[in-house]
Amino acid sequence: MKILVGVKRVVDYNVKIRVKADNTGVETANVKFSMNPFDEIAVEEAVRLKEAGKVSEIIAVSLGIAQSQDTIRTALAMGADRGILVQTDVDLQPLAVAKLLKAIIDKEAPSLVLLGKQAIDDDSNQTGQMLAALLDWPQGTFASKITVTGDGIEVIREVDGGLETVALTLPALVTTDLRLNEPRYASLPNIMKAKKKQLDVITPADLGVDVTPRLTTLKVEEPPKRKAGIKVADVAELVNRLRNEAKVIP
Amino acid sequence: MSTLVLPDLIPTCRKALEQVQKFQAAAKASVSALVMKDGKVNAALLDQQQEAAHGYAWLSTYVATLTQMLEWAERLDGSGRLGELEGLILQSLYGEYLAQMVGGIPMSQGEYVRPNDMGLTSGQVHALFNEDVSKLRNLGNSAEVRVAIAHHIKDGHHFGNSALDDETLEMVRDQFHRFAEEQVVPYAHEWHLKDELIPIEVVNQVAEMGVFGLTLPEEFGGLGMGKTAMCVVTEELSRGYIGVGSLGTRSEIAGELIRLGGTQEQKEEWLPKIASGEILPTAVFTEPNTGSDLGSLRTRAVKEGDVYKVIGNKTWITHASRSDVMAMLVRTDPNTKDYKGLSMLLGEKPRGTEADLFPAKGMSGGEIKVLGYRGMKEYELGFDGFEVPVDNLLGGVEGQGFKQLMATFESARIQTAARAVGVAQCAMETGLRYANERIQFGKALIEFPRIACKLAWMAVETMAARQLTYYSARTKDSDQRCDIEAGMAKLLGARVAWSNADNALQIHGGNGYAEEYPISRILCDARILNIFEGAAEIQAQVIARGLLSSS
Repeated sequence: MKILVGVKRVVDYNVKIRVKADNTGVETANVKFSMNPFDEIAVEEAVRLKEAGKVSEIIAVSLGIAQSQDTIRTALAMGADRGILVQTDVDLQPLAVAKLLKAIIDKEAPSLVLLGKQAIDDDSNQTGQMLAALLDWPQGTFASKITVTGDGIEVIREVDGGLETVALTLPALVTTDLRLNEPRYASLPNIMKAKKKQLDVITPADLGVDVTPRLTTLKVEEPPKRKAGIKVADVAELVNRLRNEAKVIP
Repeated sequence: MSTLVLPDLIPTCRKALEQVQKFQAAAKASVSALVMKDGKVNAALLDQQQEAAHGYAWLSTYVATLTQMLEWAERLDGSGRLGELEGLILQSLYGEYLAQMVGGIPMSQGEYVRPNDMGLTSGQVHALFNEDVSKLRNLGNSAEVRVAIAHHIKDGHHFGNSALDDETLEMVRDQFHRFAEEQVVPYAHEWHLKDELIPIEVVNQVAEMGVFGLTLPEEFGGLGMGKTAMCVVTEELSRGYIGVGSLGTRSEIAGELIRLGGTQEQKEEWLPKIASGEILPTAVFTEPNTGSDLGSLRTRAVKEGDVYKVIGNKTWITHASRSDVMAMLVRTDPNTKDYKGLSMLLGEKPRGTEADLFPAKGMSGGEIKVLGYRGMKEYELGFDGFEVPVDNLLGGVEGQGFKQLMATFESARIQTAARAVGVAQCAMETGLRYANERIQFGKALIEFPRIACKLAWMAVETMAARQLTYYSARTKDSDQRCDIEAGMAKLLGARVAWSNADNALQIHGGNGYAEEYPISRILCDARILNIFEGAAEIQAQVIARGLLSSS
């Protein structure tokens, strides 16, 4: 079985995000970037499946600017076998990403596609679902456990009410949630090996996909600062304030 | 947006550096006149004139640091990455170090070396001050500049671009940063307080990450990654905890000893096991009466048949109980009193347990309780007929021990410099966190310029020590000698780590003096850096001798 994993280069989760002075986006100069944490979980899961002998090859795919190669190298150092970068300077939105991935999947024919449930930069949580629809494949989103069964997989999903188990036939698409696993550290020997692994760079045009943004960002703003609370003297005052100031009770 | 970065900063620094080099040349001529006899450095005169000679070593360390920091800034500038923070760091360092060169360089607290101590005249001092030097000295490191630097580093995620310029090394840094952050930082303080060995599971993880074979050649199971990579790994692990950053030190020393001095059989036998972490080595050099003056050590090794019997006392042996093999510097020729009669033996021993620290026959030992740098523990050892097979004589020829050890010192110094940078970074981040969290008089401590300036100066000097360390590592990686550069990096790094730790503790006020707060440990950990692997005084002596002997 061949697995395709999506890895996105995002602002590191430790970095305190600042909005650009002109409100067009967030500050990215001198900011540390790393692999989207949910994608790290996806890579880890793929590597574990390979170590368990269920998988023959792992392909790590990233889409975006040239520096996304670093993100792919990290996936290769964790244990992916080869990488593909679809290089473009265009701001890629979920639908464009899904279309690009579909084009690669059509060529590579993996049995399983693993994606992070969302990227921590735009928090869209759309790519996996859109891609499954474009492929017309079964999907298991928010996975906290993946088990390979005879000719399919069983996915435990984290849903509001608890855990839901779904059985998917292959080929299938799974998006990973936080509790699926704890990603490993890439060891020095594996970092050195990753340098020699194949990494192909192609363009959206090579795949015949139009990646023009469909959405326009009007404005990016900092969340409003939280104001200090107050102490109320008694229940009567509390009810009064909730009713007349906060207007949360009738 | 207005900036405090001086206009034409880089050309100004370049011209100032040329002035400084002239000043250094004048100091060299002046100190040489004090310590040279018949065209050579005279040992007795050098001892007599230590203040002048060590002052020259420190002055030269400053010049090397300014040189490397300017090259760092030029590299960044050349690729459009010289941000405001990096510019401010550069000018702050130039401003402060130029002022210190004239006003007094602190060799330690209370020990300031001034141009006068090196026999320089006031005319020679005045000659240093051209327009560029004056500009940097007056404006480079103003309080405003330092407050601006503090503002840049406030978030705790960006302390200036370290310009590794190598994506593999960046990945190495990321991975080891995360490892230290998740597996070391949360537990280090508890290990210290309980005075425990670092758990063997952590040692094994470090082994799996490939740390022990990092610089060893691939043909012997290593990774052949070079000293710059070693610096990055050591820095990140030491940032977590000096004990974990020091696990690799003994492997590095033993690995270098065997790689450079061992026979082919010894390399094949030992290096793969050291690389994998299957065996943990330790270094057995120091004796109760012999520290820096290693040539005079007295532990004897007497050849009897196919074994050496070792008799004598050793001390300050790190990780001695849990190690499997000891690189032992011993006297094989009893008719000598200097380094010529010394040999290096590879003594095998079983790992100790808590009940029996040293189960080996002919070997005993006890723990030395220490302020910091715990996690591997320190021991004094007694040898009374401890046996080492003659095949384990390093290189197979007696009398080579001192020379073999000296060949490893560059690498050991570089590794220690990187440990110092890691501890310096750790202290800075710990101080910064407290300065952001602690509110007094209605504002965070960092809002007070005295606190902000302390943190800013930590950022400046930590970057300076880092760049000097990388420079010595790169020099070593390009197969050039770097004994002096590595010594300078260690000398400066150790002072920076200590001053960072001391100031970070000061920021904590009374809380910093409580054992409960990690900064109390970091202070104790930082203190060792000025002592081990060449105390600051002997380090300055070696640097001075090296510089004054070269034309």
